[in-house]
Amino acid sequence: MNFTTLVPLIGIGDIVVGLSLGSRLFLIAVGLSLIFGVLGVLNFAHGALYMLGAYFALAVTTSVVDNFWLAVVIGALAVGVVGALIEVATIRPLYERAEGELDQLIVTFGFVLIIHELVRFIWGSQPYSMDTPALFDFSVTVGASTFSAYRILVIGLAALVMLSLWLFITRTYFGSLVRGTSSDREMASMLGVDVPRLYTGVFFLGSVLAGLGGALSAPLQSTSPALGDQVIIDAFIIVVIGGLGSMTGAFVGAMIIGLLQSIGPQFIAAGHIAIPFLAMVLVLLFRPEGLFGGIGE
Amino acid sequence: MSGDEDGTRTGLAAFGSAAVTDGWTRERISLLVAIGLVAMAFAPSFQVYLFTEFLIIALFALGFNLLYGYTGLLSFGHGLFFAGGSYGVAIVLRDLGPVIADVVGSGIAPVVTFALAMVIAVMIVVVVAIPVGWLSVRLEEIYFALITLAFGMLGFSFILQNPGGITNGTDGILVLLGSVEIGGMDVRLGDRQLYYFLTLGIVASATYTIWRIVNSPFGAVCKAIRESPDRAAALGIDVTHHRWMTFILSALFVGIAGALMAGLASVASPYHAHWTNSATAVVATVIGGATFFAGPIVGAFIYLYVRWGISRFPALEAHWELFFGALLIAVVLYFKIGAVGGLLLLRERLFGAETSTDGGGETE
Repeated sequence: MNFTTLVPLIGIGDIVVGLSLGSRLFLIAVGLSLIFGVLGVLNFAHGALYMLGAYFALAVTTSVVDNFWLAVVIGALAVGVVGALIEVATIRPLYERAEGELDQLIVTFGFVLIIHELVRFIWGSQPYSMDTPALFDFSVTVGASTFSAYRILVIGLAALVMLSLWLFITRTYFGSLVRGTSSDREMASMLGVDVPRLYTGVFFLGSVLAGLGGALSAPLQSTSPALGDQVIIDAFIIVVIGGLGSMTGAFVGAMIIGLLQSIGPQFIAAGHIAIPFLAMVLVLLFRPEGLFGGIGE
Repeated sequence: MSGDEDGTRTGLAAFGSAAVTDGWTRERISLLVAIGLVAMAFAPSFQVYLFTEFLIIALFALGFNLLYGYTGLLSFGHGLFFAGGSYGVAIVLRDLGPVIADVVGSGIAPVVTFALAMVIAVMIVVVVAIPVGWLSVRLEEIYFALITLAFGMLGFSFILQNPGGITNGTDGILVLLGSVEIGGMDVRLGDRQLYYFLTLGIVASATYTIWRIVNSPFGAVCKAIRESPDRAAALGIDVTHHRWMTFILSALFVGIAGALMAGLASVASPYHAHWTNSATAVVATVIGGATFFAGPIVGAFIYLYVRWGISRFPALEAHWELFFGALLIAVVLYFKIGAVGGLLLLRERLFGAETSTDGGGETE
């Protein structure tokens, strides 16, 4: 391998693109991981919720108020409400069932189909694009590479979310309830924690994060009904590699996959699609708890 | 319940019992089904195609359910074996067709080639399933679903990557079955009616084989593992080994379904390996009722015919997924016995309790 020709190929621009891809993947993966860590539910519909975030933000800017930031917040919260409704109506009845885990996976898969079709029904199959907010609609040039300032913002916001989540889980009272319930549901319930409400709250939070990821990446990608199907697979890879239930794992995993998607094709023209799946298989076989185990670690 | 409804029910029950005593025996019903299946071949061409597709998806779901309903392992990667079957047939037809024609002479070459292609395709699937299954059965529940999903998508990316030009990337491989001359007549192997009978024969034999498997001591061990892996292990069963064997058998039948699909659709497509195709088996099986032998068959029937029925209405066209999503959730939440369980309940209501005991197909 000739490194003198390879090294200049990785510009700072590629790294920024990779990290911004990783940031939006982190937002969906951390919600998925949080829900699994606390509720034990693998939410197949998480990619669909992410996609819904992008559509909600688009709908708000086009028909309610033409303000990007407001649209992102409203979009993310609306997705949270959808997630909470899904949890209360269809997942809650399954916690006590013996083979509940697989049933929950199948039920949430049902929502993949439903949300996918509803989106097509309301917004059609054509892809939409969203304008970059004016405040960040300029390019940054570092050395030979140029990239959109908005990507830097997305990276910063993801880091901020990571930090706040970590503080929230490890430093607040509610966070300690979440950690306690995650390690022993019955004990927490006996100590007076309202477990069903806490579960709904965590599902809401996880869905808000997915919606936030979707809404924030609307200016960076074309939004179409196929978006959810693609992104859920990336999210599964990330949470498995990082460890189901681990926030640090979701962060590191998301950045690895993001960078692999932006830089990978230059190194390994044939195989960059297969590598994440191969990594997923290897982690499941040799370290099923992931590279980083446990919530809040 | 009002008196009127009670009256209707007793009336129907009386009608049902009368029908049974009048000789609606299992033999007669079987004969009727057989006549119906033959008559199906003379339906309009599109209907023959749809019914053939139903048979293939039914076998796909039956193979999948050997692992899910009978052994308790939910795979989200059986598309890999479906694609293994379809690509096996496509590659043999493309690359070995001329060689075989040289050996056996061009007259019957297409028949020999297709038969050989089916055999090789299933062998390829088994060769893939042996290591994939050996690794996957080490995991349970969600983790099993995830690793099979990963293996399936690994296969999908392998096909897209087109190593050595063997899989032809995103376009997939065109499957041409060719034609043979019988008594001066040119008979196309891919002819709708002929291919329907071929599929019917293979699917019926495979279904009978699966029926024998689940009702054998091997099947009894599967059910024991599904009910309680720990208890099965305590009885001296090598749970992991048995799951592995079931995995290979399950993949084999799914591979046959995939091989048949290549001939029907005239293409081996990378989509066959995608997780959304693996999900087809999950949806059909759950809707039909995973705890019944006939569940996947009835589920596949509902899946294809409801989809076709919905596509008749332009306003609803292409929104059939919405219906299946809602149905899937409703079945899992409130009606785990699925469509077959529903039919059995209905029969119990109509014909009274005495006939409900010969349901036969339950896995309980």
